[in-house]
Amino acid sequence: MARRISIWKYIDKYLLILFLLLLVGGYLTIYSSSFDGLNETGSFWSTSSGKQLIWVIISLLIGSIVLLVEGSFIHNSSYIVYVIVLLLLVGVLFMPAIKGAKSWFQFGSFSIQPSEFAKLSCSLAFARYLSSINVKFQDFRTRIKVISILIFPAILIVLQPDPGTMLVFISFVFVMYREGLSGNILLIGLLAIIIAVIGIFLKASETNFDLLGSSISGNMFFGFILLLISVLSFLIIKFFVLPRYRKEKFYRLAIVTVIGIVISLGVNHVYDNLFKDRHRNRFQIMFGIKEDRTGDGYNIYQALSAIGSGEGTGKGYLQGTLSNDKYKHVPEQSTDFIFCSWAEEWGFLGGLLFIIVYIATLIRIVMLAERQRSKFTRIFGYCVASVLFFHFMINIGMVTGLAPVIGIPLPFFSKGGSAVLTFSLLIFILLRLDAERKVVLR
Amino acid sequence: MDPFQNRRWVIILIMLGVGLIFIFRLLFIQVINKDWSNRAAQISSTIKNIQPPRGFIYDRNQKLLVGAEQAYDIMILPKDIKEKDSLIICQLFNMSIEVLRGKINEACSGYNVSYKASVFYESLTKSEYAKIAPSIGQISGLYGSIKTQRGYPHPIAAHALGYIRKISKKQYEKAKKTNQNVYSRNDYLGITGLEKIYELELRGKRGNENFLKDYAGNKVEIIEKKPAEPGKDLFTTLDLDLQLLGEELMKNKLGCVVAIEPSSGEILSMVSAPSFDPALFSGRDFPAQYEILLHNDSLKPLLNRPVYNDKYRPGSIFKLVHALIALQEGVLQPSTGFICDKNIIGCHNHEPPSNLVTAIKHSCNPYFYQVYKRIILRGKNKNYFEDSRLGLANWEEKAKNFGFGEILGVDIPEEKKGFLPNVDFYDDWYGKKRWAFSTIYSNSIGEGEIGVSPLQMANLAAIIANRGYYFTPHLVKQVGDKKINSKFIQKHTTKIDSIFFIPVVDAMEQVVLNGTASRAQLDSVSICGKTGTVENKNFNDHSVFISFAPKHNPKIAIAVYVEYGTWGGTWAAPIASVMIDKYLNRELSEKSLKKKERIMEAVILNKNSDFTF
Repeated sequence: MARRISIWKYIDKYLLILFLLLLVGGYLTIYSSSFDGLNETGSFWSTSSGKQLIWVIISLLIGSIVLLVEGSFIHNSSYIVYVIVLLLLVGVLFMPAIKGAKSWFQFGSFSIQPSEFAKLSCSLAFARYLSSINVKFQDFRTRIKVISILIFPAILIVLQPDPGTMLVFISFVFVMYREGLSGNILLIGLLAIIIAVIGIFLKASETNFDLLGSSISGNMFFGFILLLISVLSFLIIKFFVLPRYRKEKFYRLAIVTVIGIVISLGVNHVYDNLFKDRHRNRFQIMFGIKEDRTGDGYNIYQALSAIGSGEGTGKGYLQGTLSNDKYKHVPEQSTDFIFCSWAEEWGFLGGLLFIIVYIATLIRIVMLAERQRSKFTRIFGYCVASVLFFHFMINIGMVTGLAPVIGIPLPFFSKGGSAVLTFSLLIFILLRLDAERKVVLR
Repeated sequence: MDPFQNRRWVIILIMLGVGLIFIFRLLFIQVINKDWSNRAAQISSTIKNIQPPRGFIYDRNQKLLVGAEQAYDIMILPKDIKEKDSLIICQLFNMSIEVLRGKINEACSGYNVSYKASVFYESLTKSEYAKIAPSIGQISGLYGSIKTQRGYPHPIAAHALGYIRKISKKQYEKAKKTNQNVYSRNDYLGITGLEKIYELELRGKRGNENFLKDYAGNKVEIIEKKPAEPGKDLFTTLDLDLQLLGEELMKNKLGCVVAIEPSSGEILSMVSAPSFDPALFSGRDFPAQYEILLHNDSLKPLLNRPVYNDKYRPGSIFKLVHALIALQEGVLQPSTGFICDKNIIGCHNHEPPSNLVTAIKHSCNPYFYQVYKRIILRGKNKNYFEDSRLGLANWEEKAKNFGFGEILGVDIPEEKKGFLPNVDFYDDWYGKKRWAFSTIYSNSIGEGEIGVSPLQMANLAAIIANRGYYFTPHLVKQVGDKKINSKFIQKHTTKIDSIFFIPVVDAMEQVVLNGTASRAQLDSVSICGKTGTVENKNFNDHSVFISFAPKHNPKIAIAVYVEYGTWGGTWAAPIASVMIDKYLNRELSEKSLKKKERIMEAVILNKNSDFTF
């Protein structure tokens, strides 16, 4: 048993302040984005920004309670929380669909989205399991178990269907990397993404190359180049690498080549046969091959216009003319596209501040994680950082036109009660665990 | 020691890298590249022109001649049009599927785009729209849009008022170069008549409004507003009732009626027959109707005869001019008599023209042959040819004082100046010294080469009514709250002493009382008039009559020209008298009603007009 500590003495003030900055900034942005310029006749609490404020208060209350809870209690209840959320995820599938997805439990005018809680429960379970004595990430069985912790909620979430939230589980790769997953897998993943992106680009742009007088598709040409590179690499290995290392290198080269060619040709197949026009359009718009203001490119065109209109210093709070409820030029301006509202009203300076605060928060979390003696706290800290980072990367990438449109919220900013509660609890739990860093060793 | 703890730096580096990428991306979108900001302005705000209401046109008693009426444009939003509705649309608008396809294509090309509504079918009247409105409501992509267009309470005075029409591409480009930003692409502008002359006053000044809109295009907040300056109203000199009557009387006839208030030069009525309905031009059928009127109608209804047709020979009414000039020149006394010698020039049987009054009363041709001879041959040069030249030049100068051969300056376009044959003209025609009085004597009875517009004829009546002067005839006395152009209150004198008008006016009274125009008599008022019967080789003669009334302190001067109407007294004189009765008494007497009935039954048309334009 750990002895009682004074939470205010040991709490990390930096993270607390950064977190509160994000929470307040996020709420103000929600208020602005759902601002319709009318004099509300009804009660403030029944408006969407009013409801969000209730959720923020609930989050702070529950968070404060969490701060008073013993770290060991959190550690011990990890699996229980995991199972409860898993049951909720099963239960939600029997709920009526809202906007085509069975993602919500509806209680009057409030609704709860268990897939958000899954981000928390998986982090806890993941950390708990990996921090157990005798568990080493290098073991193949450990890896299988770790992945199965993630795979069950992921499958349940896909069934809702909510593919955006499911993708968040990819973020645990960063934690695995920190805990010993081979960097090569990360690199190969990166390589696969690069090859896929180039492949899709060549496909989407319908590029053709002249080769020996006959025109071949860009994709075939790219496959050919990949093959050429691997032959070259083979020769380099053969002539420059010592024989005793060669076998291993050849082995790796073969894997990379096969993956590269498979992806490159796979893209061909997927693009032609599995993609719908909608998807092809999205990629063409993302690569700037096609401009589409009305159809599949509407969201991103409006979003970029709103962000661009903020210019250097923005239009001022509540002064937006595109991304709020008064004008509604940007779809989903309070949820997935809420960054438009921020960037429109605060301009580049606001955007810069936002990114600095966000990255600072992430780095601070990583620093907290690294200073733990407790493995559980460290892994949990990395889970928090990874989940937040993944959301940030995909969401901002999406609204700035760098990533395809995937429905993923921006933590603390996007409207949604379950989301703000989940992200707040992630931070609060980390703060509590961190405060106990000198007390316990688990 | 944890072997992987250095991996934290890789993770932090990745985070910093992503952050930097986003910062540069934002820098590019928000600060460096202004495209997105411009696009945002396009998305969120709209500058909309506010069209000023066009000024109304009133008659002299503040009765509305041209106002506004509501009409409906059918708008099309091509992106919402459904294939399945095409048959219904074709039936509704009575168009073939090809025409419909063409219209939809048009709505997606050029200045139009498929997600913006454009005009599909123009200017349906209220009742037309009421008929199809329920069906339109069922069709996605079509809806009615209310607008105001020129409204005509009565289909009259089309030539004087003129009409407006959508600006053509050429006119638009031209206007853009000269007077900046007055017109927009869908504006209407005055093409003829008062609508053209007073275009700038009538149209007002366009305003605009820059407003923020929401995603559906609804106006949310006005950023800037410059209100439109409404067009000024025109107060014309026309008399609505008189004009209505004139148009009725001239139905099924070719010719003109022009009535002037002598004391001011205000045109009370200006009828050009046949006429057309000016409302035809303010609506959708403009091009089609225009084609029909312009090209396919040999009666030339678009022609503004009172000012444009200056090829009318005046006939006997010109004898009055000769008489006045001769009296002023002293070559004729009121008591002078001549023999009605039909060997010189044809005449009809009448009492001997022992004085000027009798001669005018019976319109004696030989008498005025002699009068004209006295004007032309003055013995100032021994040479007969030379003497004729001097005489003709003098006559031309005097006749010009009556406003002949020159533009009077009325305020509608296309006025032509008529023609007084002069020395140069005959020199060109016959050669110098190859012509003399004996060549040109037909001018003496208003035949020959003289060309006079009906407006000039009415002006002659006004001159005689005024005993020697006139004001430039005009149609507008007030624009907005600005009184008329000063050139319309300037007195033009004929340089004929008023004393010489006494016998002429007396004679004109006799013409109506017991002369050639007895059909023009009115019980209530004494009319002074003069008939003209203009010879016509191929068809009936033209019927002409000028008059004014009452004899003393005249209120109205009027000229009537009925093409192919035979005798001056047959049609032109009674038409004038009915008009005078209406204007002076407001109600037609029983006698006038009978005359009116007779006139309206007459159909006097000749499709093979002598006049070529």
